[in-house]
Amino acid sequence: MKTDCKTEFTDRQTIRMTADAAARQIPPLWPLASSVAVNPFLGQIGRTLAETGALMKRVGGFSVTMPRDWYQQRIAAGEISDEDLASALAASRHCGKPKDLFALKAAVSTKRQEPVALPTLAELAARVDGTDWPGLVAERISAWAGGYFDRGQALWAAPRGRSAWAAWRAYATHDLTPEIMGLDGFAAFVAEAPENPDEAIARASARLGLADLGSTGYFHQLLMSLGGWAQFARYELWQAELAGASDATVTDLLAIRLLWEEALFVRHEAQIADVWREVRGAHQAPLSPDAEDVIDEILQEACERGVQRRLAQTLAAPAERTGEGRPKLQAAFCIDVRSEVFRRALESIDPSIRTLGFAGFFGMTTRHRSFASDAEELRLPVLLNPALSSCSGHQSDLPRDLSTRYRARAKRAWGRFKLAAVSSFAFVEAMGPVYIGKLLRDGLGFGSARVSCDPVPRFEPELALEHRIGAAETVLRAMSLTQNFARVVLLAGHGASVVNNPHASGLNCGACGGYSGEVNARLLAGLLNDERVREGLAERGIAIPHDTVFVAALHDTTTDRVTLFEGDRPSGDHAADLKRIVQWLDKAGAVSRGERALRLPRAASQDDIARRARNWAEVRPEWALAGCQAFIAAPRDRTSRRNLAGRAFLHDYDWRQDAERGFGVLELIMTAPVVVASWISLQYYGSTVAPRIFGAGNKLLHNVVGGIGVLEGNGGTLRAGLPWQSVHDGERLAHDPVRLSVCIEAPRQAMTDILERHEGARALFENRWLHLFAMDDEGRLAYRYAGELSWEPVEETRPPHRMAAVA
Amino acid sequence: MIYDIVPLIAPAVLLLAAAIGFWVPGVRPSLLSRLVEGAALVGFAAAIASACLLLAVGPYTAAAPGLQGMLVSSRVDAVSVVMLLLVSFVGWIVLRYSASYLCNEPRQGAFLSWMAATLAAVLLLVQASNLPHLVAAWIATSLCLHKLLLFYGDRIQVVRAARKKFIVARIGDVALVAAALLLVSGYGTLDIAAILTAARDGIMPAGVTWAAGFLALAAILKSAQFPFHGWLTEVMEAPTPVSALLHAGVINAGGFLLIRFADVMLLSPAILAGLVILGGFTALFGGLAMLTQSAVKNSLAWSTIAQMGFMIMQCGLALFPLALLHIVAHSLYKAHAFLASGTAVERVASIRKPGPIAIPSGRAVMRAFALALAIYAAIGFVFGFAAKPPQAIALGAILIFGVAYLLAQGLADAAPRALTRRTALYAVAASVSYFALQTGAEWITAATLPPTPQPLPLEWALLTLTVVSFGLVAVAQALFPLWSDHPAAAGLRVHLSNGLYANALFDRLIGNWSTRHPS
Repeated sequence: MKTDCKTEFTDRQTIRMTADAAARQIPPLWPLASSVAVNPFLGQIGRTLAETGALMKRVGGFSVTMPRDWYQQRIAAGEISDEDLASALAASRHCGKPKDLFALKAAVSTKRQEPVALPTLAELAARVDGTDWPGLVAERISAWAGGYFDRGQALWAAPRGRSAWAAWRAYATHDLTPEIMGLDGFAAFVAEAPENPDEAIARASARLGLADLGSTGYFHQLLMSLGGWAQFARYELWQAELAGASDATVTDLLAIRLLWEEALFVRHEAQIADVWREVRGAHQAPLSPDAEDVIDEILQEACERGVQRRLAQTLAAPAERTGEGRPKLQAAFCIDVRSEVFRRALESIDPSIRTLGFAGFFGMTTRHRSFASDAEELRLPVLLNPALSSCSGHQSDLPRDLSTRYRARAKRAWGRFKLAAVSSFAFVEAMGPVYIGKLLRDGLGFGSARVSCDPVPRFEPELALEHRIGAAETVLRAMSLTQNFARVVLLAGHGASVVNNPHASGLNCGACGGYSGEVNARLLAGLLNDERVREGLAERGIAIPHDTVFVAALHDTTTDRVTLFEGDRPSGDHAADLKRIVQWLDKAGAVSRGERALRLPRAASQDDIARRARNWAEVRPEWALAGCQAFIAAPRDRTSRRNLAGRAFLHDYDWRQDAERGFGVLELIMTAPVVVASWISLQYYGSTVAPRIFGAGNKLLHNVVGGIGVLEGNGGTLRAGLPWQSVHDGERLAHDPVRLSVCIEAPRQAMTDILERHEGARALFENRWLHLFAMDDEGRLAYRYAGELSWEPVEETRPPHRMAAVA
Repeated sequence: MIYDIVPLIAPAVLLLAAAIGFWVPGVRPSLLSRLVEGAALVGFAAAIASACLLLAVGPYTAAAPGLQGMLVSSRVDAVSVVMLLLVSFVGWIVLRYSASYLCNEPRQGAFLSWMAATLAAVLLLVQASNLPHLVAAWIATSLCLHKLLLFYGDRIQVVRAARKKFIVARIGDVALVAAALLLVSGYGTLDIAAILTAARDGIMPAGVTWAAGFLALAAILKSAQFPFHGWLTEVMEAPTPVSALLHAGVINAGGFLLIRFADVMLLSPAILAGLVILGGFTALFGGLAMLTQSAVKNSLAWSTIAQMGFMIMQCGLALFPLALLHIVAHSLYKAHAFLASGTAVERVASIRKPGPIAIPSGRAVMRAFALALAIYAAIGFVFGFAAKPPQAIALGAILIFGVAYLLAQGLADAAPRALTRRTALYAVAASVSYFALQTGAEWITAATLPPTPQPLPLEWALLTLTVVSFGLVAVAQALFPLWSDHPAAAGLRVHLSNGLYANALFDRLIGNWSTRHPS
C-alpha cells in the first residue's frame, strides 16, 4: 500500500472521477411534494437492456426483465407470435444470441438463475460474526438521513447548513448504537476520519485496494445499497447542475457508506481479506452480458414487437375522417395517456368538437407562487429551467392575501402546539373529543380534496409585449394550432383529487413538475386573450378571430370532471357556448368514468368513482399512467375514432407546417416530451420488473419521512418509484412492462438529422429504451428505426378486419 | 336477562364475523368486508345500549347464562361503558378503513378476521368483571395482535419487531397472572367489584402491595413505558389500520388496568409514587424524542409513548378520572392521526407557505407564561379551585404550561396583531375545553372511581418535582430554536432521537440483529 506522492495524487484524481461516475449511475428522486416520474435507468441509457441486466445482476442482484414464465404465458396466449420472436432475434446485435428461433423458444421454458450481487464488505462481515451488518448500516444511515433531508416533519430539526459528510460525522460520533451492536470504537473511527470526504474516499480506497479498480461497479453498488437516499442526493446534484452549480451530497453519501465498509474491513480483515480480494477481482472483470441476459432482452423485445403489431393494426384500420369546417370547440389536453380516454369520449359527443394534445404546461415554464404563499413552485418539466415567474392574485387581492396568511400562520402555531413537548398533553386532553367528528367525517368520506380556487395568476414581473407575443407564437406553433380557431378554445391542464395519499403529486401533471396544471393553462389563456398579443400574432401570420376566446380548465383525472376557469376571461358574450360546453364535458366525464370503472377494483360503475376519490383509505384512486405503451406525434386525424384504450401519449404535430421552419417543433418534441414520456414509461417498467429496487413498496406500510418520501414500515432506506399498488391490482399487473413505442409522422431524414445532433435522445433509441417509428401520410407505421441512423420498412400489417374492434 | 347479555353482544358479533372470515382468508373475501364492518357497528350499538342501561339501572355485574359468571361476565359501570363506547367506535372506523385499504390484498380475509378478533378481545377485556375473564381477555388481545403484526411475516423487520413485542407481552402476562393470584388469595373472591369494595374499605390482606406492584408492572409493559418502549416504535411493520387499532385500542389496556384496580392501587402509595416518576419521565423523554423524529409514524409512536407516560403519571397521582379522560381523548386523536398519516407530505409542504415562523424571545416567553397562569387563575375561579385536590391543581398547571407555548408563538415580536389575537383565542378555548372536560370526567366517574386522597409529604415532594420538571421542559420548548441549534444540543438530539439506546440494548440482549435466527 506504499505509494509515492505523485501516484497518490493521480490515484486520488482517478478515485474522485470514479466516485463521480458512480454517482451518475444513480437516477435522481424528486421530493414527494412535487414528484415526477424518473427513468430508473437514467445512468444506463448508454447501455442496452442486456448490458444493464449484466450490470444490475452484479451490483444489485436483480433482473431487469420479467421472469421467463411471464413471457411464456404471453407466447401461449398468442400475444407474442413466432414472427415477433424471430424478428426480435434477428434484430439483436449481441453476439452469443440463440442461433435460431428453436433455440430461443427452448430457452423460454428454462427458469433462469436467481441473480446474486457481489457481496459488500458489510455482507462479508455478517458472514463472519453473524450480525446483519447490511441491514444495520442501512438502518443507521437512514436514521441520520431522515433528519438531514427532513423538510419540516421533525419540530426539533437536525442542525442545518452543513455538508452531508460533516453532518453525518457529527451524528455518528455521538451515536452509540453501532458500538452497542458490536462494532467497538466506531464513533472514534468516525471522529478520526478525514474532514474532507474526498480524502476519506481516497483513504478507504487505498486500504481496501480499490485504487486500481478502474470501475464504478463497487461504488455504484454501495450507493444502491442506500436506496432512495442516494437518489435523493443525486436529485440535489441534478438541481444544482440545472442552475449551473454543483453539489457533493451524493458523493458524501458514498464516503459515509465507504467508511462503514472500511470500519468493518478493519475489524474482520484477517477473516475476510482473501474473499475480498476475489470480490475485487470480480468487480474488475469486464462487464458483458451473458447468454441469459441476451435471451431476456430478446424476449422483452419480442413482447414489445407484439404490442407494436397490435398498435399498427389499430392505426391501419380505416376510420372516418373528422369533418372540415370551423369546429364549435377546440379542447387542448395534456399528452398524458389519461387524456386519450377523455378526448375520445368528448369527440364522440358532437362531431364539431376537436381535441388536441400538447404537454400540459402549455409552454409556460413558470416559477410560481400560489395565493398567500411564499413557497416557489416549479411548474414546468424538470428537464428545463424556469423562464417565467408568476404569482396568483393582483394588488387588489392583497388584504385577502394577508388575512389568509394569518389564518394559515395561526393554524401552523396550533399545529406546533399539538406536537410540542408538554403542550401535546394539553392538546390531547382539550381537543381529543373533537376527533370524534374528524373520524366520522373522514371515515364516511364527507371530506374532499380541495380544488384550487386561487385568483387568476399573472406574470410577476410583467412581461414586455414583445416577449408575450413571442411566447404565444412559440406555443401555438408547437401545438400546430395556427388556423381554423373555434369560437371557444379550451386549454385543459390536469390534476388529481385524492385524499390522504403521499403519492398524490405523482398523479398530477408531470409536465408541470408534479403540480396540477391549472396555473399554466390560466397563464396561457390570459396571454392569448390579450388583444395586443393577438395583434402581434396576426402580424406574424397567426390570425385569431375576434370571436375566439381561450378558456383555461382543469381536468381532474381521478373523477374525470372538468372545471372551467370562466371568471378569467375578459367578456361575457360566450355564455351560451360555455353552457353547452359544460354539458358536453359532463357527458364526456360520465363516458370516461364508465370506461375507467371497468379497470378499477371496487368500482361497479361510473357512480363509484367520485366516492373512491374521497375515500381516505383508497390505495388505487386511479390507475394514473399504468398501461402506457405508445407515444404518437401526428395530426389528431390519425388517431381519432380509434380506441387507444388510454395507453398512448398523443401529441398534435403537423410536419408540413413545421417543415417551412426547419423542423424546430419536431426537434423540440423528440428532445423534450418524448424524453419525459420515456421517464414515465421506464419508471413503470422499472417498478414492475424490479419492484424491490425501483418500486416504492407496499402502500399499506408507507411511512412518510421528512415530507419528502416514504419508508416501507419502520425503517430501511427511502423508497423511490411507484408503489406496488400502482402497478398491480392484487391479482395481476395493471401495467405490462414494455418500453415505449414512439410513432411520429414526419420525414425520416428530418428525424435522423435530429438524432444525429442530440446524443442523449439518440442513446435512448439506439439502445432500445424507446422504439421509434415513422408514420406515413395515412397514419400507418411505415418505418422502424433500426439503429445507427438507419430505418427499415415495417412489414405490411394484415388487414385487421375483425381485429380493430378488439384493440 | 337482557341486562346480562347486552354488553357481550359487542364482542360476540365480532367473534362470529371473525370465525366466518377464517373460511375465506384469501383475496376479495366476497361480503366479509361488509359483514365485519356491520358487526363493528352492531358492537357500537351494543355499547350505546350498555350506556343506556347504566343510566337506567346504575352499575351492575352481569352473569352470563350457564357459566355462573365464573368465566365470562360483564361489569357495567362508568369505566367499562366509557371504554366500550370508545373501543367499539374506534374499532368500527378502523374496520371500515381496512375494508378499502386492504382491497385485493392477498390474505385480505384473514386480516379482517384477525382485526375483528383483536377488537373482540379488547371489548371483552374492558368489560371483565372477574379475574379469569380479565386475564384471558388480556392474553387473547395480545395473541391476536401478534397475528396482525406478523401479517407480512416474510419481512425480516416484521419478525424482529414481533419477537420483541412477544417477549414484552409474555412478561406482562406473567405479571398480570401473578397479580390476579395474589388478589384471589388475599380477598378470597374472583369478583373484581368485590375486591375493589373490600380495598376501598381499607382491607389490606398480605401480598396486596405485591399485587399492586405486579399490576403496575403489567401496565408499564403494556403501555410501552421506559425502558420497555422499544417494541412500540417498531410495529409500523403492519398495515396502517393495525397501528391505529394498537395505538387507539390495545395500548390502553395498561392504563385501563390501573384505573380498574384503582382502589387496590391506592393501598400502595410507594407503587403509585413509582408510577409518577416512571410515567413522568417517560412523558418528558418520549415527548422530546418525538420532536426529533422525521418519519411520521415513528413520530406518532413516540407521541403515544409520551401520552401513555402522562396517563400513567395521572394514575400515580391518583387522578384516575383524568387518566380515563386522557385515554379516551388520546385514542380518538391517535386513531385519526395514524389513519390520516398519508397527509404528511401535504402538511409539511404547507408549513413554509405563509412565510417565516415568528420566534418568541425570552421576554415573550415569560409574558406568555404569566398570561397562561392568569388564564388558569381565572378559570380556576370559575371551576372552583378550592374543591380540587392539590394533585389536580398541579396537573392543571402542567397543562397550562403547554398552553403558554401557544401564547408565546403569538407574542413573538415578529408576530402580527392578528396572529396574536388568534393564538390567544385558541389558548383560551383550549383551556376552557380542557377544564370543562376534566369536570365532566370527574362527574361521570364519581360513583365508580375512588376520590384522590390528600397528599402526604411524599406526594408533595413528587408534585413539586413534577411541576418543576414539566415547567422547565415547557420553557425550554418555548425557547426553541434559540438553543436547539447550539452544538451542545446536537449531541443530546442524537441520543434522544435514538431513544437513549434502550431499544438498541434490548436488541443486543435478544440478538435481534443476528443473521443466525431461524425466522
